[in-house]
Amino acid sequence: MSTNPVIDVDELNVRYGDFHAVKDLSFQVEPGELYALLGTNGAGKTSALEVIEGHREAASGTVRVFGQPPTDRGAIRPRTGIMLQESGFSDDLTVSESVRLIGRLTGRVDALDAVLKTVDLSHKTDTRVSQLSGGEKRRLDFATAVYGRPELIFLDEPTTGLDIQSRDALWDVVQQLREDGATVVLTTHYLEEAQQRADRIGLMHQGTLRQQGTVSELTRALPASIQFSLPPGTATPPMHSAPVSGNAYVVETFDMQRDLKQLLDWADDHAVELLGLSAAPTRLDDVFRAVGSEPATS
Amino acid sequence: MLPIARSELIQIFRNRSVLIANLLMPAAAAAFFIYSRDLLEGAGGLGYIGAVLVFTVGAFSLYATVVTVLAARRQTLFLKRLRSTAASDPAILIGLVLPVSVIAVVQVAVMLTVFAAVSGRPSDVVLLVTAIVAAFLMLLALGLATAGVTSSPEQAQVTTLPISLGAIGVASWIGIAGTADLTWLKRLVPGGSATELVIDAWNGGVPVADSLLLLGPTLGWVVVAVVLAARFFRWEPRR
Repeated sequence: MSTNPVIDVDELNVRYGDFHAVKDLSFQVEPGELYALLGTNGAGKTSALEVIEGHREAASGTVRVFGQPPTDRGAIRPRTGIMLQESGFSDDLTVSESVRLIGRLTGRVDALDAVLKTVDLSHKTDTRVSQLSGGEKRRLDFATAVYGRPELIFLDEPTTGLDIQSRDALWDVVQQLREDGATVVLTTHYLEEAQQRADRIGLMHQGTLRQQGTVSELTRALPASIQFSLPPGTATPPMHSAPVSGNAYVVETFDMQRDLKQLLDWADDHAVELLGLSAAPTRLDDVFRAVGSEPATS
Repeated sequence: MLPIARSELIQIFRNRSVLIANLLMPAAAAAFFIYSRDLLEGAGGLGYIGAVLVFTVGAFSLYATVVTVLAARRQTLFLKRLRSTAASDPAILIGLVLPVSVIAVVQVAVMLTVFAAVSGRPSDVVLLVTAIVAAFLMLLALGLATAGVTSSPEQAQVTTLPISLGAIGVASWIGIAGTADLTWLKRLVPGGSATELVIDAWNGGVPVADSLLLLGPTLGWVVVAVVLAARFFRWEPRR
């Protein structure tokens, strides 16, 4: 653990009346890291994030951002960009007025034209927010989050509603900011984005942090899979495999290279054609499903 | 605070429904009262017309508009957006209500100036200004409290009715019937003592010290409204 984490969450609890939304959540985010906080629906990640962003009070526990309580807006917000899950812009303001307003209120300085260009909204400068599409509003939201190149950026479902080009452009900007040392906290339902981009991932379920680590650390505990079908009348392959339907088989393995070689050697030796052969590493989806099926904790 | 106030002013002037319902309509109603001053003067005197003008602007241009604006900004998560900046909660609130308040003050100043020009000057301008400030503070605080229980600008059309119509009703009741009977009741209802203060300031004939005592109940309502606002005001829509 770092002695100077950007975010330090310790035994955080969030309650709504009798409902215990976040239970004893603890984690740290290191400088320059992209940390993805993922979870099933209702896992408590939004509640946790709102406390970390300073929008909500914790029932108990401590949260520090840059060593300060997150509610100390004057100290933290000039260093922090927040992309909210829902846009929260006024329909009656234009794109440039919206970015300029948030920029001024956060105390950060930037070149408005350049920021709008990075999110491809230069041609919408004088357009009112009410006339923007859903994707354009998300890009506007992103523009306000990265305005002034903050040290810490919260991205809450950043690519929801964006087309593929806009997604790529957004991640390019995030990558540039990270190269300059920015720390990023991401929540997303697109697991492949977290798998590709995150340095570490925290998986929440029913209010608790169930797993945390790098993608390889999280996927290590679950087997990879080899799938194939055999022609009718063929003998069963030598390794442990389970037929899923008819002549289709799935081999679950913790040693993909060894088991795949063994399977191919067996097929060669017996002149068997492995139909539809595919070998896939463990994906974050599999870990996510495993976590989602875990029973509730008290 | 000032960037928020500036953006709020832009939004008000770009939103026709707010502009017409909450700013132009009260101005039209006040113009009607001034035009009909001879008829109304017979019912309650010039001070009564002054009080009705003050409370028409205060109830609609200030109170109802503040509730509508805050409910709308909360519903669209604009309040949450502002809270994701370095601005403090008081700075956000002041920035949001400042343009509405300034517009209401300008409106009432123009109307009373016109009224004074056609009907004669008020007896005590300083006392009149004090009365207006106290009444507007009360209506502003009540606006914050009402915004706490108003989830949308559409709902504001209903939730603002009791206080906005009540304020006009109280002003008319006291302006026409006076405070000779049911004195304490009339002074303790919201806007009652402020109405009496406006009437005293316009008509004259009441010692200033006696009139200033009327500030007590009005400022008491400010405290009550602030406590209610602190209890009920929410920054985000209820989930």
